[in-house]
Amino acid sequence: MQRDQSRISYGGGKNNGLAKPPTLGPRLIPRSPSVPSLHGEKSFNSLNMSDPVLNRPIYKENPSKESRISNIGKAFLEPEYTPDIQASPSTIGGNSNLSVIDMYADDMESQLASEESEELHPTTINETNETSNTSSKLVPKFMNRLSLSTSSHDRNADTDDDDDENIYQQNQPIPKSPRINISSKDAEHFDRYGFKKQSTYITEQEYDIWWREYFQYCIRRKNKWIQLMEKNDLSANDESVRRFPPKSEKLKRYVRKGIPAEWRGNAWWYFANGQQLLDENTGTYPQLLLKIDHIETLPDKENKYPDLEIIERDLNRTFPDNIHFQRESFQTDEPEMIKSLRRVLVAFSLYNPKIGYCQSMNFLAGLLLLFLDEEKSFWMLVLLTSKYLPGVHNVNLEGVNIDQGVLMLCVKEYLPEIWEYIIPSNKHNNKNNLNKLMNSGFSSNHHNTRSQESNKNEFLFKLPPVTLCTASWFMSCFVGVLPIEVSLRIWDCLFYEGSHFLFKVSLGILKLSEGELLKSKHYDSITHYSLNGNQNKKSMNPEENEMELFQILQSFPKRLLNPNDIFEKIIFKKRITFNNLDQEEIDRCRQYVTDQRQKNKPLADTKKSSSHTNINNNQSSDNSVISNHSDTNYRNNNIHKFRSVKHTNSSEEHLPAGTTEGYGFKRSITSVNWNSGLKQKVRQIRGKKD
Amino acid sequence: MLQFKLVLLGDSSVGKSSIVNRFVKDSFDEFRESTIGAAFLSQTVTIKDDDQDVTVKFEIWDTAGQERYKSLAPMYYRNSNAALVVYDITQADSLEKAQSWVHELKNKVDDNNLVIYLVGNKVDLTKDDEEKRVVDRDVAEKYAQENGLLFNEVSAKTGEGIQQIFQTIGENLYEVRKKENTTNNSNMANRAHGQVDIQLPRPSTNDSTSCCS
Repeated sequence: MQRDQSRISYGGGKNNGLAKPPTLGPRLIPRSPSVPSLHGEKSFNSLNMSDPVLNRPIYKENPSKESRISNIGKAFLEPEYTPDIQASPSTIGGNSNLSVIDMYADDMESQLASEESEELHPTTINETNETSNTSSKLVPKFMNRLSLSTSSHDRNADTDDDDDENIYQQNQPIPKSPRINISSKDAEHFDRYGFKKQSTYITEQEYDIWWREYFQYCIRRKNKWIQLMEKNDLSANDESVRRFPPKSEKLKRYVRKGIPAEWRGNAWWYFANGQQLLDENTGTYPQLLLKIDHIETLPDKENKYPDLEIIERDLNRTFPDNIHFQRESFQTDEPEMIKSLRRVLVAFSLYNPKIGYCQSMNFLAGLLLLFLDEEKSFWMLVLLTSKYLPGVHNVNLEGVNIDQGVLMLCVKEYLPEIWEYIIPSNKHNNKNNLNKLMNSGFSSNHHNTRSQESNKNEFLFKLPPVTLCTASWFMSCFVGVLPIEVSLRIWDCLFYEGSHFLFKVSLGILKLSEGELLKSKHYDSITHYSLNGNQNKKSMNPEENEMELFQILQSFPKRLLNPNDIFEKIIFKKRITFNNLDQEEIDRCRQYVTDQRQKNKPLADTKKSSSHTNINNNQSSDNSVISNHSDTNYRNNNIHKFRSVKHTNSSEEHLPAGTTEGYGFKRSITSVNWNSGLKQKVRQIRGKKD
Repeated sequence: MLQFKLVLLGDSSVGKSSIVNRFVKDSFDEFRESTIGAAFLSQTVTIKDDDQDVTVKFEIWDTAGQERYKSLAPMYYRNSNAALVVYDITQADSLEKAQSWVHELKNKVDDNNLVIYLVGNKVDLTKDDEEKRVVDRDVAEKYAQENGLLFNEVSAKTGEGIQQIFQTIGENLYEVRKKENTTNNSNMANRAHGQVDIQLPRPSTNDSTSCCS
């Protein structure tokens, strides 16, 4: 049965099954012969001979605007395009690539496919809830073939919400779809986005078992979304969902429970306000494509544009397990997705030379291309690297260092047990040791005497090694860090709520990792150690502990197959205090860490490589192209207002003498529910020591 | 069991992760995802000391190769006992990058006993087509000799020479520890367990306070 599902979910084949979840039954059906084939099928066919998706037509959503782009881009970028395509540019669609989202913009096809699906899949829908009208209309019929009962887990997941879901009881056997040409042998191994189900950490069987349930969850959520859209007089048609209701707590909750996969690209675009950026920069991307074309002709392009080669090396190292990025052995040409990825990344490196190309952006752009057309993906990449992850991908990586400093502040505040693994509290009692230990990497021996005042927050400018792991979470926005469905749920919230959500998720993962640490042999001793301040106990080596944490953090998130394991068990729990973190607090922390790092720059830079010495110069002149680094421009407004009575001590103790800036977590003002007793105890111990 | 910290350095896509993957899991992927940040793995080798088997555990830091990640490198190589500096024998630039890593290690790591192993990867590509080679073995070998580095050409794809790298490093470090053990037995933290009674200093920098104090 599961095989059938997966086959169906992927039924459209390459470029189709991708962003077409099973909830989109009609979309998975190969192109109706009545629909004219407009896109570059020649090149597609040559790539994927056995792939039904190749026959799918691609429509543009906005011909007048986007054809302009694609014409410019195609004419020179894809000389192999067939003349008929170039001759009918207005029909090519805005997507000079063949990204999946092309299919989204295809109303007619959808309708046709939909009608076909009803003919072809007479269903025996058996709905047990009052929304049957809606659902029968909107849920692809074939989905009701699943004879799966909803798990108790899912029920629980939804009970804490007022938008209680209607749960389907589907007991019908799954008929085989006659329309699926791709062999189940191939298709069953890939998920609905084209990613291989199996990973080093998850077996295909585990995936299938989980997906059987999560698939039902997705259907229920989509029905909820449809109702919400209709209440707001908005289109809920997969092909024309462009606008979304005004922001509200309810909508936020809906987003947190997952945007329907087939609406994702447009939802991200809408919530991130991509259209505004595009409108303000009409013609920019086509111009960049022209520039790329010009560069391609230069004899010394590698020297003038060193990013080109680095990008080239990473193209085939971007989602090598995703069929859309793979070149089949029989293919002579590289996949369209790879071409799009190259164009987006090269265009970006030209557009923002301060960032150029940074490894990890290949994953950001790659994921965007699975959900949006090329130009929109480009602008979303611009937004990600400026608004959501300011400075993170800069040449000096200062932004990611700042964010890691902020994360460390958050861990210290909210997850003291984890913090003990990162910076054991006994270090505070032995400043020389601490300095030597922490400096050994940077070897600034004369630092010891200078930093007596500031070594309490030394971790802000001498980041602990665990941040080498957590930094990648931010750089790639959790793509590849977590299984894909979890990453996508995070992206939903990121674009709706802002970058502070990344910190919440990071804290959530760290909190979940506590369970893993518990299993470790050191846990008892370290807990005992920190609680009693027993400095004579030498049962553990701080570095070993941190490495243990590191190893857990780099592997266990990859096993978090079910998004609701982190969303429902952590993110939705109001009593977990870090869930109340908001953008303002994170921005304030970012400003604080930025200032601290600038102040301590001479220390941090001692004996470091020259590439690291111009951090602040780059940082300050970073806005040559994009000036809306709003996340970092936040100034220290109202800091004192937020510095709580409770937090004053610990906050103050982190400040070098004479510093007026500070950070504070609002949560300290209200109650600290999470393990407050332990936290209090740790503070007391620290207070005594100091 | 002895434990050593080893760091992989080198230009992007020279095959650092592939070498580790071959060593740790004895597998190879034609296309590996780019390493973002760093990865941490461990694997053991067994070396012979007379008729005794000594287990040596490597804690391996695999790093991102792009230039801009270089500023993070001190975090990886601090306290390292060994460094694997990798280049691609089909990419001339990559040897230059490797040499700059060697230079940095020699300047920044205080440990005189740091074992640096220069590795030319992708030797499989030249098996059928020697023209693909752009870095002469002699050139790299000469550089290695002049700078006191261990050297070999390997292939992560076929596995050729991979195990031997770690075997050799293990043996080298073991000999160093043995010597140190006879001369200096007091301030060092004992991280040896089991078969061999040996005092293993850790970290390998001269900063003795950074071990389990």
